[in-house]
Amino acid sequence: MKIKRLLALLMAFGLVASACGSSDSSDGGGDDNETSATTEAMEEEETATTEPEATEAGEVMDDIVVDFGVTDDVIKVGLNPDLSGPFGSLVSEIVEGQTVYWETVNANGGIAGRQVEMTILDSGYATDKGIENYGVLAQESEDGVVIISENTGSPITAAIAEDAIDDDMLVIPLSWASLWPDPEIGANILEKGATYCVEAMNGVSFLNDLVTEAGDTPKLAIISRPGEYGEDGHVGAEIAAEALGIEVVYNAKGEVAGDDRTAIVSQLLASDANMVWVTLTPGETADIFGNAVAGGMTAQWSGNLPSFNYLFHLGGDLAPAFDEYYWQSGFNLPWNVGDSEGMGEMVEAFNELRPDIALADGYVTGWMEGMIVQTILEQAAANGDMTRAGMVAASKEVVVDFKGISPNQGWAGDYNESVVRETYIFDVSLDAFDIQPVSAGTGGTGLPVHKGPFVSDVARDYVFDGPCI
Amino acid sequence: MGDLLLLAQDSSGFFPIFLQTLVKGLALGSIYAIMGIGFVIVFKGTQVLNFASGGMAMAGALFMSIMINDGGLPFMPWSNPLAPAAGTDPSIPRWLINLFFALIFAAIMGMILERVAIRPMVGQPLFSMAVITLGLETAIGPFNRDATSQAARTLGVPWKLEQWKLFDAGIPKSYVAAMIAAAVCFGAVNFFFRSRFGVAMRAVAFDQEAAQAQGINVGRVFSIAWGLGAALVTVAAIFYGMGPFPPQGTVSQEIHPILAFRVLPVIILGGLDSIPGALYGGLMIASAEVFAGQYLSQWTKILGAGYSTIVPYLVMLIVLLVRPYGLFGTEEIRRV
Repeated sequence: MKIKRLLALLMAFGLVASACGSSDSSDGGGDDNETSATTEAMEEEETATTEPEATEAGEVMDDIVVDFGVTDDVIKVGLNPDLSGPFGSLVSEIVEGQTVYWETVNANGGIAGRQVEMTILDSGYATDKGIENYGVLAQESEDGVVIISENTGSPITAAIAEDAIDDDMLVIPLSWASLWPDPEIGANILEKGATYCVEAMNGVSFLNDLVTEAGDTPKLAIISRPGEYGEDGHVGAEIAAEALGIEVVYNAKGEVAGDDRTAIVSQLLASDANMVWVTLTPGETADIFGNAVAGGMTAQWSGNLPSFNYLFHLGGDLAPAFDEYYWQSGFNLPWNVGDSEGMGEMVEAFNELRPDIALADGYVTGWMEGMIVQTILEQAAANGDMTRAGMVAASKEVVVDFKGISPNQGWAGDYNESVVRETYIFDVSLDAFDIQPVSAGTGGTGLPVHKGPFVSDVARDYVFDGPCI
Repeated sequence: MGDLLLLAQDSSGFFPIFLQTLVKGLALGSIYAIMGIGFVIVFKGTQVLNFASGGMAMAGALFMSIMINDGGLPFMPWSNPLAPAAGTDPSIPRWLINLFFALIFAAIMGMILERVAIRPMVGQPLFSMAVITLGLETAIGPFNRDATSQAARTLGVPWKLEQWKLFDAGIPKSYVAAMIAAAVCFGAVNFFFRSRFGVAMRAVAFDQEAAQAQGINVGRVFSIAWGLGAALVTVAAIFYGMGPFPPQGTVSQEIHPILAFRVLPVIILGGLDSIPGALYGGLMIASAEVFAGQYLSQWTKILGAGYSTIVPYLVMLIVLLVRPYGLFGTEEIRRV
C-alpha cells in the first residue's frame, strides 16, 4: 500500500507535468545558473572616479551626470536572459550577438570614452528567478546597471514592468506582446519591432493576397495557444479577417492545450480552409501542420514568429511540406540576408571575432539590441545625463537606425505613434537551409525575403485604443 | 511534396474520422503498452517503480538519432558503419539494425544506472528507492536537453509520414509500425518470462531472500530488469517519435520527457506487476484519450479542449475504485 500512496502523490505531479508539457512558456527549467560575464576588454577594469561633484541626480563625471551603472570609464548593461530554460538555445545566440556587438564597440573606443560591460544573470525562464535577477541588476549601488538590454519572455517582462517604471530602468524585452507600447504598462519597456498583433494583421493580409491571386475565395483558419502570446496573435488575425471580409471557417482561439491535437486537426481538415494563421510553439505547429498536410490539406500557412523554428522544422521529416506550404513571418532580416550596411557590419564582426561558430538568426536579434542601447547611451551622453532617468529621457528622443536590418524605430508618442507596423514575410526554402560556420560566408537559415518590410492596409489604417488584448 | 505521400483526400466523413481515431487510439495504446511493460519489468524484478523511465526513454531515442544522423556511436570514438550516407534516408532493414544497436546502448545505460544508483540502495525502504529514480530523471534531463537543443534530432524513419488509405481514412504507416512493435515486445517479454532468467526474475519478485537462498544471483536479476526496462521504454520513445505522433519524426525536448508520466495511469490501471495489464491498460487509456480528444471537445466546446489530458486519469480513478489493485494486478493479502 505504500506504493499506492506514493503513486497517488505522483499522479498529481503527473497531471501537472502533462498540463505543463505542451507549454513552451510554462516550463521553467529553473536552473540557478548565474553567469556574470564581461566583455573581454573589460575583464581587468576597475572603477576610477575623477573627483565627482555630488548633485541631486548623482555624480558628475566628465561633465556627464551619472548615478548607477556608469562610472568614468565603465558602462554596465544588464541582461536577464533564459540561458538554461526552454528558450536557452535561442537566447544564447542572442546573448552571443550582443556580446560580439559590445566587443566591436569597445574595440572602437566604447561610448563616451567608456567601455561597455555586460552583467548576465540567467533566469531559466522562471519568473521568480527573473524577478530576483531584476532586483540585482536594478540595485542602487555600484553593482547595478544603467539599462537592461535583454529580458527574455513576456511573463518576466510583465512581472518587472511596474518596477522598471519606479526604478527609471529601461528594459529591452524578448517579447512582442502588444502590451508594451502602452505607456501605462510598458513606459520603460522598449519593444523592438512590431507586435504579435500587428504581425498577424500583416500576415493574414499577405495570405489573403496569395489566395486571391490564385483565384480562390479566401477561407481562413486561425489557431492559437492559450495565454497572452496566443491571444495577441489571434486577435490580430481576427482584426485582419474582419477588415478584409475574409470568412473565418475555423476559429480555435486558445484551444491548443494538452498534447493531443486530434480534434484540432479533424476540425481544421473539415473546415476546408485554404489559409491558416497560427500562434503556437514550434512543436505545436509541427504537430498540427504535419497531421493536416498528411490528411490532404493544401492550404497556405503562416504564423507569428515563434511558431516556426528553422532548425526544428527544416531539419525534420516535415521540411518538404514546410517548404511548400509555410511562409514565415518576422520582424527583421535573418542572418546574412540582403546587402544592407548593418548586415554587412554584423557579418564582418562575426567573421573577425567568432569565425568558427555556426550561423544563426539569433545573432541578429542580439546585434539589434546592442544598436538600440548604443543609440540611447550616445544620446544620453550628448544630453550630459547618463543616469537611469537620463536613459529614459534619451529613449524618447531617439530613432534607432538599424541600417537596413529592420525598419528604424523610435519610442516617442502615444500607442499609435510608437507601434511599429512593418514586418517581413520569408519564403521558407529548403534549398536555402544550410547551416555553415560563419567564416564560410555561405549557407543560410532557409528564409529568403519574399516581401518586406511592408505594412498591410489593415495594419496601416488600424487605430489602436490600447493593446490588442 | 517530396517524400510526403498524400492519399487521404476525403477523410472528413463520420466513418473515416472514426476509423482514423480508432487506429490512432490503438497505435498510441501500443506505445503506452510498450512503455508500461518497461515499467512493469523493472517493478517485477526490483519492486521499484522507475520514475526515471521518461529520461531514459528520451536518452535511448537520442542514441538512435545519433547513430542514424551523426555517423557515430553513442559515447564511442568509432564511426557507425551502418549509418546511412549523409543526406540519404536509411532503408528499413538498415534502420532496424540501427534500432537494435540503439536498444543495446539503452540497455547498457539502464544496467549502469542500476549498478550506480539502485544496487547500493537494496534493502532500503522502497520509497527511498523511488525517490532515487526521480533524482535520476532529473540528472538525465540536462543531457537530453543539451543533445536536443533547438535543432530537430530526427529518427531517420524510413516511411516518414506515408500512409495507406482504408475506407477513405488515412492510416499512417507509423501507427501500424507501433502496433507491430507492441506485439513483438509483448511476445518477446512473455518468452523471456518463460526462460531461465525470467523464472529467476519472477522468483526474486516473489521473495528476494528465498530466491537468493536458492542460488539466484539477485544482483544480476536487478541488472537485467533495468536493462530490459530501459530498452523497452526506448522502443516506446522511438516509435512515439514518428510522425504523425506529435514529435513528428524527432526526439522532442517538449514532448518526450513527459511520456512516462502519461503512462502512469496505464500501469496503475493494468496492475503494477502485470504484463497483460500494461497491454490492456495501454490500449484502454490511449483509446479513451484519443476519442475524448476527438469527440468530447467538439460536443462540449464550452468546457474547453483539454479532455485528452484529463480523461486517462478519470478512467484510472474509476477503475481503481472498483479494483484497487488494477485490472490484472496481484492482490496484496495481509494477515490481521
